Amino acid sequence: MRRVLASTAVLMSALTLATACGSDEETPSGTSDPKVIEVTFDGDSVTPNGDRVEVERGQDVQLEVTADAPGEIHVHSDPEQELEYTEGTTTVTIQGIDQPGTVDVESHTLELVIVQLEVR
Amino acid sequence: MASPDGITLAHGLGGAKDLPISPELAIAGATAALVISFTVLAIAWRTPRYDAATSGRVAPPGLAAIVDSRAWRITWRVVGFAIFLYAVMVAVFGKDLAINPILGIVYVWWWVGLVPLSLFFGPVWKAISPVRTINLGFAKISGSDPDRGLFEYPERLGNWPAAFGLFAFVWLELVYPYPTELGPVRLWAAAYVAVMLVGGALFGNRFYERADPFEVYSTLVSRMSVWGRRGEQLVIRSPLANLDTTPVRPGLVAVVAVLFGSTAFDSFQDSTRWVKFVQGGDTSPYLLNNIGLLAFCVAAGAVFALGCVLTGLGDDLRRVELPNQFAHSMIPIIVGYIVAHYLSYLVEVGWLTLIYASDPFSNGSNWFGTADLPLFTWLSYHPTFLANTKVLAVVLGHVLGVIAAHERAIRILPKRHQLTGQLPLLFAMIAFTAGGLYLLFAA
Repeated sequence: MRRVLASTAVLMSALTLATACGSDEETPSGTSDPKVIEVTFDGDSVTPNGDRVEVERGQDVQLEVTADAPGEIHVHSDPEQELEYTEGTTTVTIQGIDQPGTVDVESHTLELVIVQLEVR
Repeated sequence: MASPDGITLAHGLGGAKDLPISPELAIAGATAALVISFTVLAIAWRTPRYDAATSGRVAPPGLAAIVDSRAWRITWRVVGFAIFLYAVMVAVFGKDLAINPILGIVYVWWWVGLVPLSLFFGPVWKAISPVRTINLGFAKISGSDPDRGLFEYPERLGNWPAAFGLFAFVWLELVYPYPTELGPVRLWAAAYVAVMLVGGALFGNRFYERADPFEVYSTLVSRMSVWGRRGEQLVIRSPLANLDTTPVRPGLVAVVAVLFGSTAFDSFQDSTRWVKFVQGGDTSPYLLNNIGLLAFCVAAGAVFALGCVLTGLGDDLRRVELPNQFAHSMIPIIVGYIVAHYLSYLVEVGWLTLIYASDPFSNGSNWFGTADLPLFTWLSYHPTFLANTKVLAVVLGHVLGVIAAHERAIRILPKRHQLTGQLPLLFAMIAFTAGGLYLLFAA
């Protein structure tokens, strides 16, 4: 039992050391240009279709929406954001998100995930 | 419809989810699990160490006196029932808003919070379960024994009803399209209470012990705590020795399969792969989610059962008994994975629920003085720490699971099959752990 525990302890600490390097607790820059994502609504479908997009903390995200009908986009950040778009071309902006995490951006109208923002 | 607080009804509880762990971290974790598994096999003990009849140290008499006292039992019954009454109140009279605390009480405090509570304090749900309390109340009024019902609980049923109950809960949480609307949550909870009361009347307290999904879950997790019983006596055991005392019952493997499979599916649902697949086709997402949840639970059970039965056997044991004989060794793996999957959710949304709890009717009141507490988001703001903790929990759970399976193998398998007989299960466990880490990386 001792030997098992000792080997386990050694391996666990090796794992901890191997993964503990690198810290990511820096403050958001907030000065970077907004991330631009083109979004196209066509009937019942949307492009992009659930892709992951990496953004920096605090970085705004501009959605250039082309749609065949007006609708609403929900951003499941804390606090939540709601954005409305019209038929034709609309540019809407998701305010920079400060809290790191994965945030779904959904078409409320179609109940589809457009993109998942990985806020780092 | 959206609420002003940043939590939506259409989307489950909580806004942002954890960032995926880095591929390096996932690979480091999987490698560690692999290496440790074979290390355990190579150097661990060769004769059984744990015996429920002798293991554990007798708890200090003062502590045992408190825990076994009538006042202690009554206190926790009262605490549990007070929370239950509060939950009924907000479920019946509260508004259908995401700031209604009932959602956090059900999905976070009850479903997730039960795990750490049982891990630290033992079989918590058994102590506070309102359905047990009501059954006890009926028995007191009618002068009968709460342990006895009209019938004997059938041995063959074992934990199967609990497995179905757990599946019903994860179905509500992960598959049903409106899990955060008040009506369905209230209906589910009412059905749970009704079934439990009927079951208690028919079979007595044994029904709760074996068929109540929450009590079975809580008591299984409590086997990894240091608190155990030897006969009636309170003892302090090593978690591994305590785990070894888990009763082997029909359906136990189904319980662990549902717990592990559903948590894995919960992760998988958030992965880009699944989102794109569901949104890309013409098949209804509801149907796909149903199939997905069931497939994950069945696959978890099948892989585990296969890992158990692929061994040489003596004459004293039938092959079909093996999965339930080994099922307790899945509990550490499940607990490790639950920690990884739910840690930030439990801490942050659990805290948020405490804030909401002060305003049960969503009219701005502050019953308990918690309404103005700030959000607790420390874990989200320290994603590296969070990711490391998650992977450590998964690997530690894996190690304990492998050791628990090893102990059982050398106890029940004939000598010549003890080492080779463990290998298939070891591979199954490595598959679970690597799969779990992959999902933490992909989701």
